[in-house]
Amino acid sequence: MTDQTAPPATALPYLTPGTRAALASLLVAAICLALEGRADWLWEWPDAWTLPVTDWISQGLGWLFDLIRPVVRVISTLLRYPMDWVNVALVQTPWPLIIGATVALGWYAGGLSLALLSAIGLGFVLASGYWVEGMNTLALVFVSVPLALILGLFIGIWANESPRARPWIEATLDLMQTVPTFAYLTPLLLLFGFGPVVGLIASAIYAAPPMARNTLLGLQRVEAEVKEAGIMAGATRRQQLALVEIPAASTQIMIGVNQSLMAALSMVIIAAVIGGFDDIGWEVLLTMRQANFGQSFLAGLVIVAFAIIIDRISARMATNRDRHDLRISWIILAASAALAVYAWAALPAASDIALLAPTVEAVDGALTQFTRATGATLDSIKNTAMFYGLLPLRIGLDGAVLPFTWGFSWTATMSWVLLGGGAALGLAVALTGRVAFGASLPVMAVVLETGVADLPWPFVLFGVGAVAWVAGGWKLTRLALVLLALILVSGLWERALLSLYLCGAAVIACAVLGGLLGLLSAVSNIAWAIIRPICDMLQTIPLFVFLIPVLMFFQIGEFSAFLAIILYAIVPMIRYTRHGLVTTPPELLEAAVAAGATKTQIMRDVRAPFAAPTILLGLNQTILYAFAMLVITALIGTTGLGQSIYLALGQADVGLGIAAGAAMAILALISDRIVQGFAEERRRALGL
Amino acid sequence: MTTPDANGTPAIAVEGLWQVFGNDARARLKEARGRTGSAPEAAEELKQQGLIPAVQDAGFEVREGELFVIMGLSGSGKSTMVRCISRLVEPTAGSVLIDGEDILAASPKRLIELRRRKLGMVFQHFGLFPHMTVAENVAFPLKMLGKSRAERRARAFEVLDMVGLDGREDSYPRQLSGGQKQRVGIARSLAVNPDIWFLDEPFSALDPLIRRQLQDEFLKIQSGLRKTIVFITHDITEALKLADRIAIMRDGRIVQIGTPAEIVLKPVDNYVREFSKDVARGRHACLDSVIQTEGPLPEMPDDPKLRIDMTLDDALAACMSCYENVPVYDRDGKMAGYVHPKELADALTVDSE
Ligand SMILES: Nc1ncnc2c1ncn2[C@@H]1O[C@H](COP(=O)(O)OP(=O)(O)OP(=O)(O)O)[C@@H](O)[C@H]1O
Ligand SMILES: [Mg+2]
Repeated sequence: MTDQTAPPATALPYLTPGTRAALASLLVAAICLALEGRADWLWEWPDAWTLPVTDWISQGLGWLFDLIRPVVRVISTLLRYPMDWVNVALVQTPWPLIIGATVALGWYAGGLSLALLSAIGLGFVLASGYWVEGMNTLALVFVSVPLALILGLFIGIWANESPRARPWIEATLDLMQTVPTFAYLTPLLLLFGFGPVVGLIASAIYAAPPMARNTLLGLQRVEAEVKEAGIMAGATRRQQLALVEIPAASTQIMIGVNQSLMAALSMVIIAAVIGGFDDIGWEVLLTMRQANFGQSFLAGLVIVAFAIIIDRISARMATNRDRHDLRISWIILAASAALAVYAWAALPAASDIALLAPTVEAVDGALTQFTRATGATLDSIKNTAMFYGLLPLRIGLDGAVLPFTWGFSWTATMSWVLLGGGAALGLAVALTGRVAFGASLPVMAVVLETGVADLPWPFVLFGVGAVAWVAGGWKLTRLALVLLALILVSGLWERALLSLYLCGAAVIACAVLGGLLGLLSAVSNIAWAIIRPICDMLQTIPLFVFLIPVLMFFQIGEFSAFLAIILYAIVPMIRYTRHGLVTTPPELLEAAVAAGATKTQIMRDVRAPFAAPTILLGLNQTILYAFAMLVITALIGTTGLGQSIYLALGQADVGLGIAAGAAMAILALISDRIVQGFAEERRRALGL
Repeated sequence: MTTPDANGTPAIAVEGLWQVFGNDARARLKEARGRTGSAPEAAEELKQQGLIPAVQDAGFEVREGELFVIMGLSGSGKSTMVRCISRLVEPTAGSVLIDGEDILAASPKRLIELRRRKLGMVFQHFGLFPHMTVAENVAFPLKMLGKSRAERRARAFEVLDMVGLDGREDSYPRQLSGGQKQRVGIARSLAVNPDIWFLDEPFSALDPLIRRQLQDEFLKIQSGLRKTIVFITHDITEALKLADRIAIMRDGRIVQIGTPAEIVLKPVDNYVREFSKDVARGRHACLDSVIQTEGPLPEMPDDPKLRIDMTLDDALAACMSCYENVPVYDRDGKMAGYVHPKELADALTVDSE
């Protein structure tokens, strides 16, 4: 990137850090290429050098788990009580009463619109025939969320009270959010044994960080003078917290509650893969495995209905203090209670309702017809993307170009032409002054020729290290290299590269597509009016549900995974791009207009550079989202770390589960730091 | 600098007070002061190290019942000064005595006790609790004192009535205008009837008309309560109108302390002079600030019957036709000194260089 360090003291002509990093990577790539065939250890990390890290973890944790298992058993038994109670309460309560209570709450929080939303949503759940499964899921959520909230509140307050502990707590929270969801499950499974308690604990742990973060943020944002007014009134520290600071931070804390609820729901549904609990997530999984897509779509929609109702009501309660007439809520509740009591005998049991069964059949039929009619097109879309996009990226042109798909076979000459062409083009670009870009072109040619999954490890280490150095200096480089080396010696390297490839491909697609959609939303209000609710919707849907539509059309495989990741991870890219582009300070725009710039020029030369840091933050979010989804897509057939984590769960192999989970977290963490570093550097360059 | 009355301990005594923001401030201040001789040099050195010396070597005393105004431009360290005195921030060096008690040595418990019973504070940006109604805000300090709910509410209504906010007791702060919020802040700080009252620019968020009205009300309240007050403002007219004495701050230093007349007539430097440039001196200064009391009495053919407590404007009007020294009498009619009409006129126009 641009110059941020002083010129070096050597006699070399001054090169920007970006140029130096690109040239160094190029040099390593050249060495690796030159030694291809002669030094296999360069291209493939030898097994002999691999440390049995996963075994160590298994043994260590096994020992630890044996030690704490008695305590855990007690916790597990204790948790069973509230779980059973809530479950019985939700399942046994007549459905009119539950719907009535939700509608009443919806009215109280948000008036007519939310009351209607609740009625329609729950009405749909009832009609779908998944009422009981839905209530089973909700029961887990409602027990895990209070645990998560208490835990999160406590951690948030602790971080606020102890400046010394704060950085550690924040780092742990960061880490917890990068650790893939499945990875939580394996150790818990080993500790608690099969059953819903695992899902409960996992979701409580997974849902606590957002609460902790928002609590800390809220407490820190309380106006200094409000805090001081508490002090000057002679409040003790405890009184300040309980009577002044926590209530004053309540809006932010309620946002934490909202995020915590959504996280818990998402995790409870993911935990269904463990099985053993008759919940809605399990239903989706089951029908998906049976290729019963109409049914699984319906179950997916039930999850979406829950997610939207929970999200909208809790979000409204967080951000809007106005409440609607409580009396009407009581009337709604009383009416539904009356209905439940007087018409009980006449009402069908929730589990007997299957109003939508015909619809499901119709959907199934239509889907079959659709796939039959467009099967060729869908296949050709999939194959084109696979053969000409994903596969070359994964195993390189030298492996992907085959007579069967490309019509010719790849030869060594072509490799040299590609590499030579890359070098020549790079040189030409470099001569125009953009040296860093020029030097990175041949590097890209190498990647394209070899394929991400087959890259020699010294090159990856060096390349990542170089990029980290440009983004964040030696400190970041050290961190990145140490962490990557951990993956390398633990024998997970190849799988990590596979994950990196799929994630990278999806992120690139998200960046291009999301960037374009963001740009479109920035220039056209109509486009934004259409895209915005879709984004809102996509962000509310639990991870798991994204698998259903892609499976319906593209079956199991890498391409479906790729699409699911894009669907989930594209939203932040769109939002941040638009936000960055539309929030250019008006003075800048006026200055540009006064200078006679056209709309396009303004976009390219004023808005885009100004939006760069924001867009980079969006990209960062997109990367984290992509990693989160990558693990889930292991369910529909991907290779790499996600698959290992999922397999580990099935085999209760805690060493592999944790090692692969950690490797995934490491990849996410390094990408996060690097992109943040670039964003920071851009922000500094803009003087923000 | 004026010394306070010798009788009795001052309500507030500040000495050698420093507040330096930044890492490791205490050690670096000590070091800087050890190396350089004077406070300004030490402050300069700290600034070069990237620290912020917001209050530098401040010293003054406030008498019981006195209305002491701290004035200075934005960022000159006024708020920081009162935060040090009330120990909302921990001063880096120096001492603060309140009624002779070293507040910097007070235990946390004692500090809570002092704040509950003795100190009241009005904040520059109100600092109202957003989740409480006006009445609950005002009653909060009483709650800390452990008063019963009924008692709290009664007292809250009483002080709210005093600041003219009756009828708004159950509104929330966000429903109030800036001026109304400020009154709530004032009412809250008065609820426990503190002996010492800190007010940080209480009227600066208001438009001039309301401000004048509130100043008058404030003077009325104060004439009844006679509290020891530290009042911050950056408005010279307000300072002159309210103050018994004024301390002028600049870049963290107190550059002058004096009565309003002294500030107006004998500014120590251009910074202070700049402040009072636009005020009509004749209206704020009295004859006692210009009369001669020493030496043999000169010849005085005219006697326009000047009194020592006349403002300069009035005095000048009375001796328009005199060209020699004229006598000045005190309140009992005894001669207190004399003044030359020309000097009188000069006092109104000096410092216009
Ligand atoms: N907590 C803090 N940390 C660092 N610097 C601070 C802090 N509080 C105040 N300062 C700095 O101390 C200096 C004095 O600030 P202070 O608030 O006392 O000024 P002031 O005279 O009250 O100004 P105003 O009239 O604008 O309220 C300023 O430069 C300010 O930036
Ligand atoms: Mg201030």
